[in-house]
Amino acid sequence: MQRKNKLTISRTLMYVVLLMAVLAWLYPILWGLFTSFKSEAEIRQLGYSFLPINWTLSNYREILFENPSTPIISWFFNSVTVSLSHVLLVLVVTSFAAYGYARLDFWGKDVLFSCLLASMMFPSIVNLIPLYDIMTELGWVNSKLALIVPGAGSVGNVFLVRQFALNIPKSFDESARIDGANDFQIFYRIILPILKPVLIVTALFSFTGSWNDFLWPSIIMNGVDKLTITPGLQLLQGQYRSFPGLGIAGAVIAIIPTFLLYLFAQKYFMESLSLEAGLKG
Amino acid sequence: MMEKTQFNEQNKKKNFNLLPAVFVGPHLLIFLVFTLIPFIYGIYISFTDWDLFTDPVFVGLENFKTILFNQDSSFYKQFWNGLQNTFFFVLITVPFCIMVPLVLATMLATRPKLHRLFQAIFYVPSLFAISAVMIIWQFLLSVSYGPINSLFGLELNLLSNQPWAWISLVIVTVWWTIGGNLVIYQAAIGGVSGDMLEAAELDGANAFQKLTKVVIPSIRFQILYTTIMTTIAQFNVYGQPLMLTGGGPNRSTQVLIMNIQQNAFGSGMARAGIASAMAVMLGVCIMVVSIFQFVLMKKQD
Repeated sequence: MQRKNKLTISRTLMYVVLLMAVLAWLYPILWGLFTSFKSEAEIRQLGYSFLPINWTLSNYREILFENPSTPIISWFFNSVTVSLSHVLLVLVVTSFAAYGYARLDFWGKDVLFSCLLASMMFPSIVNLIPLYDIMTELGWVNSKLALIVPGAGSVGNVFLVRQFALNIPKSFDESARIDGANDFQIFYRIILPILKPVLIVTALFSFTGSWNDFLWPSIIMNGVDKLTITPGLQLLQGQYRSFPGLGIAGAVIAIIPTFLLYLFAQKYFMESLSLEAGLKG
Repeated sequence: MMEKTQFNEQNKKKNFNLLPAVFVGPHLLIFLVFTLIPFIYGIYISFTDWDLFTDPVFVGLENFKTILFNQDSSFYKQFWNGLQNTFFFVLITVPFCIMVPLVLATMLATRPKLHRLFQAIFYVPSLFAISAVMIIWQFLLSVSYGPINSLFGLELNLLSNQPWAWISLVIVTVWWTIGGNLVIYQAAIGGVSGDMLEAAELDGANAFQKLTKVVIPSIRFQILYTTIMTTIAQFNVYGQPLMLTGGGPNRSTQVLIMNIQQNAFGSGMARAGIASAMAVMLGVCIMVVSIFQFVLMKKQD
């Protein structure tokens, strides 16, 4: 009986701690969201009311349409183009490579793949400056290609998809081969459909990674209207240091796509992470 | 006839060799051009004097001597100050980025009401763009507009006074990044020890004992993995100090990547060689620390 009481007490205590943590995590998001719907006058005069007293879209109207020096709509669509193209390229390149490393035999395959894995140890900060020079040589400075292509060489993606491709029984290929299918048909008709879940996971993470990329686009895109939204917000911050409503409205706009993606693909986000940690165990 | 057979054989052989190249080639090409070559080139550049426009001039170990030993050079001060601040940030942030999600995952493992919603709330910030997160927190912590000051009855500019600037950076980073680790721990805990937790609870174990005696040992591998990945991620800290404190007050939160970026791409003349040497040194630190962590944790097994 006593033990059961103790259990209830410790459970309740735990729930209180957990709720406090939840509130701490929720507060900045809700505060930001509500602040973006307050007028600047309200933010200044009334101090710290949590909810807006008069809900207004004026911050959004102003930040979207009335500030040519921070063209947030262009940034947003630059980000959409870049992220979607990047995802597409990643999916093609990664699924092809995964098929090659998992289902084909060729000279030096294992050594090559081990070298690729070892390269994941390289600290990426060393690449930053020479990558800029390579972009100059290619004429890709200020070009979306500079944001779309480099990340598609990621070894982690290939590793992940390859693990799944390895688990598909060889007999699938062989029976198709007897029916006269070549490797491209086997890849497209048999392997690709089975890989769909892990490719969705790869797509989601490539999208959010590309959308949230900050340092690289801020270096390689030096025209204001060429920027993507994540580095763009840094300019916006500089401009609206004393206008919380406008600055936060810009931040909310940048957050919306990845947030929506999470809402619709929550299951895949959750699975992917456990998958990531489990695979390497 | 002979010729034809030979041709056929060659053709066959060629096809055989070409196929893997078609599948593996595109990825390998992108990897070579945008990962491997830049990496090697980056190490070479650290041995040169280079303004990003003319050809790099080989200067041997000069850049490393300057940043490591030349006390009169501003690059020496930048490097050591930046490296010290980066290490300090890693040292205080990483434990929180492991412990906080671990504790939360343990609590969520008992499947309290709304645990799925709670998980989503903890996870979602990690999907937000760093610049968006920093804008929100900058105003949240601001002395003029933020609710934090009024909540605690302060009249203090948190972001330009130490130790508050560091504390702010750590809190923001933990808030922003724990999602991934949390989900990894949850999956690991869910897979192993639901019953064991219950049993420990009935045996009178308190929350701390449950965590150290049941949870941590059963998910050792995930803790090793996340610790190394988190450490690498935090060594690359850049956006938080850039946008929250601007490296201040008095350069006390100026991290090394901010210096690397400024020297190579800042407003003055580009010092890409020096910046590359700083990047290589940071890379060496990251690799050494990761290997050290790996060996240490493997040993404890």
